[in-house]
Amino acid sequence: MSKLERHLARIRPTLRSLDPRRDRKHGLVRLGVAACVALTAALGPVYWVKAVDRLGDDAATNASANYDDREFGGGNSLVVDKNALYEARGLIPEDEPYRVVAGPGVDGATELTEPHIGEYARYFLMPRRPDPDARWVLCYGCDLSAFGDELEVVWRDELGIAIGRLRE
Amino acid sequence: MTARALLGLAVANVLVLGTGSCLLWGARGLRSWVDLARLSGFAYLLGVAALGVALSLELVVGVPFGLATIVLTCVALGLAGLVAGRMLGRTRPSRGRGQGRGLGLVAASYAVLVVVYLESLFRAGRLASLSNWDGWAFWIPKAKAIYFFGELDDQLFRELANPTYPPLVPALEAAAFHAMGSADVVTLHVQFWFFLTGFVAAVAGLLAPRVPAALLWPVLLLVLVAPRVVSRTLEPQADFLLDYFFALAALLVALWLVEREPWQLACASLLLAGAILTKREGQLLAACVVVAALAASWGTRRSAWPRIALAAGSALALAVPWRIWFGSRDLTGELPESGLLGLFDHLDRPWPALRSVVAALVDYDLWLLVLPLAAAAIVLALVGGARILPVYAVLVYGLATAGFVWVLWSFTELELPFVQDEGVNPIVRLCGSLVVLSAALVPLLLDAAWRGADRAEREVA
Repeated sequence: MSKLERHLARIRPTLRSLDPRRDRKHGLVRLGVAACVALTAALGPVYWVKAVDRLGDDAATNASANYDDREFGGGNSLVVDKNALYEARGLIPEDEPYRVVAGPGVDGATELTEPHIGEYARYFLMPRRPDPDARWVLCYGCDLSAFGDELEVVWRDELGIAIGRLRE
Repeated sequence: MTARALLGLAVANVLVLGTGSCLLWGARGLRSWVDLARLSGFAYLLGVAALGVALSLELVVGVPFGLATIVLTCVALGLAGLVAGRMLGRTRPSRGRGQGRGLGLVAASYAVLVVVYLESLFRAGRLASLSNWDGWAFWIPKAKAIYFFGELDDQLFRELANPTYPPLVPALEAAAFHAMGSADVVTLHVQFWFFLTGFVAAVAGLLAPRVPAALLWPVLLLVLVAPRVVSRTLEPQADFLLDYFFALAALLVALWLVEREPWQLACASLLLAGAILTKREGQLLAACVVVAALAASWGTRRSAWPRIALAAGSALALAVPWRIWFGSRDLTGELPESGLLGLFDHLDRPWPALRSVVAALVDYDLWLLVLPLAAAAIVLALVGGARILPVYAVLVYGLATAGFVWVLWSFTELELPFVQDEGVNPIVRLCGSLVVLSAALVPLLLDAAWRGADRAEREVA
C-alpha cells in the first residue's frame, strides 16, 4: 500500500460520514460542520498574516517613540506643552494639592485642551490631588492677572502655560 | 519600560499561577503534572479571578493595599485551595503522562500560529502608549489612587467618570504597579498580554481533551485575529478581562450541563464573581449565563437548579460588599436615569436599538465572521440532534443580545441609531463578550453537531 493510499484509507471513514446519501440528516449536518471548519481554517491564516504584519508595524512605531510620547499617549491630543506637566511634577511636592485653571489663551490648543486638561492632569500628576482651594496653580491659558500679586509664578512657557504658588 | 518592571510582572504572574493551581487542585484535583500543564492557563485565570475578588473585598473593608497585602492574599488563597484539597481527599499529581494525548499535527500547526501571534502582540504591547480615553480618564487614575494611597479614595471615585464601576481591574493594575516597582503605564500593557495568553491557554486546555483539534484551533485563531481583538485587547481597561471571565464561566457551565462535575460549577461561580466585580455589565452577562443554565437543565431541574442557584448566589454574595460601599457613599450611575421601568416611555427606541446592536455584532471589519459562525454552529448542533448545548448557547447569545438592546433602549442619553467610533463605542465593547465567548462555545457546538448528540447523551448511548 502506497503512502497516499494509507492516507486516503485514514480519512475515508470521515469522508464517508459526510455523504448525505448514507444518512441524509447527519450527512448534511456534517457537511455543514465541515463547511464551517473549512471557512474558519481558510480565513484564520489570512487574517493571522494581516494581524502579525500590523502588530509588527505597531511594535516598530512604539519602539521609535520616546518615553515621553509613550507616557503621554492619549494626552498628545490635548496637551500642548509636555514640559509643563513634567515641570509640575518636579515643582509640586507629592503631598501637596494643586488646581488647574484652564482658559482659552494657549497657543496651539486643540478643542479638547480646555475641557479636558484638568482630567488629564489628575491622571498625570497623581499622587498629587486636585483641590479647588490649592496653593499650587497650573494655569493652562488662564488669565494670570486674575490672581493679582498673590500668585508667585515659578515657571512659565511662551504658549500661555504657567505654574505658580499662591502666597500665604 | 525596564527589565526590572518586566521581571517583576513575570514573577507576580507566576505567583498568581501558583495560587490558581492550588485552588484548582482543591476544587478539581490534578491527576498528573501533565494535567496541571494542560490546565495551567485555566489555573492562571482562576488565580486572577480569585485574587481580583479578594483584593476588591479587602479594599472595600479597608485593608491597607500594598505589596505585603498582595503576597499574603495570594498565600492565603493558595493555602485555602490546599486545605480544601486535603479535606476532599485529592491526591498529589503523579509524574506520569496521565491521560494526555500530546499535540497532533493540526493542533501543533495552529499552536505555532498562536504562539507567533502572541509573540507579535507582546512586542507591540510592551512599548505601547496609553492612548485610550477611558484608560487615562478613569481606569488608570483609580489604579494609581489605590497604588499611591493604599485605599479606595472616596473623593477620587466621586469625581471620576463611572464611579460605580467595580474595583477589580484597578486593584489588579495597582498590584501590577507594585510588582513593577512604579506606576509604569507603558509596561502595564504586558499585564493584559498575560491575561490574553492565560485565556487562550485556558480554552485550549479545557477543550483539547473534549473536542477534535480541527474544531478547536481554527475557531480560536479566528477569534484572536479579529481586527478589534488585535487592536484593543491589550488596552489597560476592563472590557477584555470581563470577556475572558464571562467566556470561561459560560464554558464551564456548558461543560457542567453535560458532565455534571462539581468543580466546573464551583470554578464558574468564582469566575462569575470576577465578571461581576470587573464591570457593571458583568451582572448582565452573569445573569444571562445563569438563566440559560436554568432553562437548559429544565429536564433535571430537581437536582440541577439548587446547585446553579448556589453557584449564582455565591457569585452575587461576593459582589455585595462593593455595592454596599458605593451605595453608602451615594455614588450613582449604575442604572439608567429613567429607572428600570422608564424605558417604556421610549417605545420608539427598541427597534433602532436592535438594529444598532445587530450591526455591531456582525460587523466584519471588527469581528470577521465569528458571530455568524456561532449562529451556524448552534443551528447545526440543534439539527444534528444535540439539545442541551445548543439550547444553552442560543439562550446565552440571545439573552445577552437582548440585554445589549436594553442598554441602548434605556440609556436615553444615547442617540439612536447609535453610531460612534469603535474605540469608545460601548455597544461594540459589549459585543466583544459574545465574540470571545465564541472561542469557547463554538468548538463544543460543532463537536456536538458532528456527533449528533450532547456529550452526556452520547455517553448514555
